Amino acid sequence: MPRSRLSLILATTLFSAGFLSAGSPVSLHADEPLHVRIDQLIAAKTPEYAKLAAPLASDGEFLRRVTLDLTGMIPTTADARAFLADTSPDKRTKLIDKLLASPEYARHMQRVADVVLMRRLAASKVSAAEWQTFLRTSFAENKPWDKLAHEILSNDGSDIKNRGPARFYLDRNVDINAVTLDIGRVFLGTDIECAQCHDHPEFDDYKQADYYGIQAFLVRSALFTDPKTKKAMIAEKAVGEVSFLSVFAPKDKKTKPNSILPTVFGEKLADEPKFEKGQEYKVKPAKNVRSIPKFSRFALLADAVTSPKNRRFTRTAANRFWGMMLGRGLVHPVDRDHSDNPPSHPELLELLADELAAHKFDIKWYLRELALTQTYQRSSRYGAADTKEIPEETFVQAVMKPLSPAQLAWAMLQASGEADVHRKSLGAKLTEAALAKRLVGTENRFVSLFGGPAGQAPQDFETTVDQVLFVANDPTMIALTKTKAGNLADRIAKLPADDTNAIAEELFFSVLTRKPTSEDIADVKAHLSQPMGTDRPALIQELVWALLASSEFRFNH
Amino acid sequence: MHTPFACNSVDHFSRRSFLTGATGGALGMLGFNGMVQAKAAKSLESQQKRVVVFWLSGGVSQLETWDPKPNTDNGGPFQAIPTSVPGVHISELLPQTAQQMHHLALVRGINTKENNHSKGAHIMQTGHRQTPGFQFPYLGSAFSSLLTAQDNPLPGYISIGGGGSAKEASFLGPANVPITLTGTNAPKNLNLPTGLTQQADTRRRNLREKFSKRFALGRRSADSEVYSSSYDSAASLMAQRDLFDFSEFSAEDLARYGTHDFSKHCLMARKLVEAGVTFTRVRHTNYDSHSENFNFHVEQLGEFDRPFAAFVSDLADRGLLESTLVIVMCEFGRTPRINQRLGRDHWGTAWSIALGGTGIQGGAVVGKTNANGTKVIDREVNGGHLFHTYYRAVGLDPTDPFYDKGRPFNKATPETSEIKEILA
Repeated sequence: MPRSRLSLILATTLFSAGFLSAGSPVSLHADEPLHVRIDQLIAAKTPEYAKLAAPLASDGEFLRRVTLDLTGMIPTTADARAFLADTSPDKRTKLIDKLLASPEYARHMQRVADVVLMRRLAASKVSAAEWQTFLRTSFAENKPWDKLAHEILSNDGSDIKNRGPARFYLDRNVDINAVTLDIGRVFLGTDIECAQCHDHPEFDDYKQADYYGIQAFLVRSALFTDPKTKKAMIAEKAVGEVSFLSVFAPKDKKTKPNSILPTVFGEKLADEPKFEKGQEYKVKPAKNVRSIPKFSRFALLADAVTSPKNRRFTRTAANRFWGMMLGRGLVHPVDRDHSDNPPSHPELLELLADELAAHKFDIKWYLRELALTQTYQRSSRYGAADTKEIPEETFVQAVMKPLSPAQLAWAMLQASGEADVHRKSLGAKLTEAALAKRLVGTENRFVSLFGGPAGQAPQDFETTVDQVLFVANDPTMIALTKTKAGNLADRIAKLPADDTNAIAEELFFSVLTRKPTSEDIADVKAHLSQPMGTDRPALIQELVWALLASSEFRFNH
Repeated sequence: MHTPFACNSVDHFSRRSFLTGATGGALGMLGFNGMVQAKAAKSLESQQKRVVVFWLSGGVSQLETWDPKPNTDNGGPFQAIPTSVPGVHISELLPQTAQQMHHLALVRGINTKENNHSKGAHIMQTGHRQTPGFQFPYLGSAFSSLLTAQDNPLPGYISIGGGGSAKEASFLGPANVPITLTGTNAPKNLNLPTGLTQQADTRRRNLREKFSKRFALGRRSADSEVYSSSYDSAASLMAQRDLFDFSEFSAEDLARYGTHDFSKHCLMARKLVEAGVTFTRVRHTNYDSHSENFNFHVEQLGEFDRPFAAFVSDLADRGLLESTLVIVMCEFGRTPRINQRLGRDHWGTAWSIALGGTGIQGGAVVGKTNANGTKVIDREVNGGHLFHTYYRAVGLDPTDPFYDKGRPFNKATPETSEIKEILA
């Protein structure tokens, strides 16, 4: 078939931008910290990188960014003022360490991991609380990522004291298609949906055998409800094989379906033991009895996925956390790691995977290294050159990240002063957990509205009219902007009406984590100078709203 | 209901509550105003063309609808029945629709060569195969952009029954993003908060815009511009809140259409078409019948048939069918071969759609499949042909390209052309 005019146009305009080159060779020194080597590899990939790169972000921009990325909220007004006033040269490093050590870090990572692992599916077989506690304590103790993944993939729900991790299987009803797809997507960087029905039609990496190789671990497993406790768990049988036929195979009686033994992308496992008939079970299947085979395929899966031999697991982990911090994966989207979608910086991805493995999947160490890079710390503003036409994946400037629904909720609560009001009222009982418990209702409102449909992988930035109408008109939102003892509107109202500088500073430090510019101050002044008879509290409320609704607030920039 | 081989696609999960608008993504550009489009739209303003797509999500079976093969190995249990057009037979599962056949044309020779939900849906709603790194505008966004007169304050594209995505508009911009409705709900928060005057609302929005513009300066701003313009979309929606009052349907309408969700969605579509909304999509789920295909279709088409037929008949009675294109389609058909679970699987190789109204010859049938429905033996067409046909039907030239910042994009694949046999 002749190529259409369109595809030619696309080929010339979209795909041959040529900004990412093979680059000049870089000599890397293994004794240099990872963050230094990252910057070298990023710079080496883009011609004239030094000229194109944006300057480092201002203190305010950096503080807001790293606080959002590592704790899921924006800094308090006091923290913002203090950080900008701090003159010590290592204040950014100290800040990163402080944030990583905070309880807010663990809760933020819990939320991030929850969305990645569970795609906002409803919690029914395992309570949300058990699952969240498992995730939060794991991140708080900095459990290595491979260990965390292993705990999730090996938990069948039968240990009544440790059912949190089983949510991955159980709230997918142990549906082997859903589980296979999400193991691929979350841990292996592969979206193997197509391979369910046939080898991938457009590229060679995903074979039907890859899909069913993973499924073979799970084909003997099924949802079981314990008759006494009524708890869901996995029961496994000693028999059962996968059977698959390409939908493109000839539809005749001679074509036999294929089968395959358990394997993660072709990695061969030890031979399966054979038992005499009648001797296959520790506990034989019967009505209301959870069968347990002597040989469990299910038990092999966690090892196979997280095995050091499985490079996909390491690479995907390195890429996912990079994507979380930098706003886009080196392989992007992060679950499309295949030969037709190569990484923007292949050498760098290999280095990251090597180093993450060498550091035993130490997440805090890895995030710290990423946060220390100049690449991470660049401004989202263009540098000397207008780099609008330069692809995002050059990382010449910071990628703008829309706030996640939970980040948006907590940013709103912090900026408006609602969180301060609750901190104050908790008094001596104030802890991170106590505050989170107080405000989870608002968080959930935002998540249900901004979170997209359950079951869908998080996508690129989308804004919808219902979300904007919520911000504009919903009573929940409007309440945040109204005066309440100790909140932002209240603090503004108490400042001298003629001290516009002080008013603008309090507003901008609180909502946008920065000092106002002279233009900002002029706008604030003009807004508050409405004709006589205009209600001053109403004007303050409008100011607070305009900042909360601004683009600058909506993005982590 | 979950079928054992349910593909994990959007169609199985899109139960997004209420309303969606405005877009994002690398190509979500604002201020789209290609000269060619402006010209084309102008020539049509007086004609007020509208389009309604019934999207049978998951893939309805052609054998249980438009191309029955009774008494063959693949035919299944249902018979074919005569319609209001002599010689044209459709499945007995569509008795009411059969009486409207003189308003509808059938395309029975579709081969899209695509069995994946999202890819099939992409072909059927954009006319193109997916291209990595580029999003073609969907039909709804395209027609919203091309057919909505400048002075029409109504949204150009409304998707009823969920499923609308901001991505559909691509470079045509947020103005052409579907507004999604579910249930019979009006969008929430359409009224100003208590105590806020219109004047104060304008004042706070202007301030928001000022701050945001300053932020966007010197930054990669596609996303932030999209965010800002969604505030404009919200404002224009608030100005039209009466249109979204679906709180009451007349007893007579309910008697004719039925009382389930899809019936009400058809009535909502009728109201929107009458009000002058350019493009309305009504989704009906879930046709993905990998198992129990026949029970599934009895149930699903039992819901579909009566309100759809009433909708076509009402549009005809009110003189609206002369200016409205109605299309019934989905991502693909279903396998002629019946599988072990009495299901039919995905099948883009030989299947059908129905369409009628403006520009279309009612009662026409084009394309033919073989005796047991496994392949097209006459007048094979694909998504490109269909798109040429839709454009021609509403009086637009599909060979006029779209322009994205001066760069041309084909509306329909240039190696295909319209299906003249069904054009009026």
